[in-house]
Amino acid sequence: MDDLVVLLFAAVALIGAVSVYFQRDRFDKLIALGIIYGGVVPFIAVRGYLDVLIAVSLIVPITTIIVLPLCRRDTRDA
Amino acid sequence: MIALYIVAVIAVFAVIRATLEKNTGRKLPYVNVMNFAVAGAIVLLLDHPLALAAAAAYFVGSTLEANALASTYAGGDRRG
Repeated sequence: MDDLVVLLFAAVALIGAVSVYFQRDRFDKLIALGIIYGGVVPFIAVRGYLDVLIAVSLIVPITTIIVLPLCRRDTRDA
Repeated sequence: MIALYIVAVIAVFAVIRATLEKNTGRKLPYVNVMNFAVAGAIVLLLDHPLALAAAAAYFVGSTLEANALASTYAGGDRRG
């Protein structure tokens, strides 16, 4: 993993992080959180921590699903 | 090695398109493109037998996340 690939995947994570801050809709914020997750995962893979990667890949969608009821449109007081 | 560059450029392009898109429903296919590109990059980064299992776990997890977001977004607006 040389410098160009590091820059590209770091750009994925940073664009996602800036996008979380500037999005207005709550769904857009959750989508940008998924983008951050996709940018961080190759940095776990390149060091060889594949068991950590498997655990993170199964835990992060569960956290998204737990947060997801806050974004339903009929719950105004969430 | 050129395959890794292509996959990384596809991921960055999909993220830029998903960020600049205004419609929330149209963001989701671009996020799926980024998830596929990252799943390919995991396999291309490391020559290890467990990389296959890691990429499969990432693929399953990201697809589950995207489907949960899409189904909640599609069923969320009940008017009347």
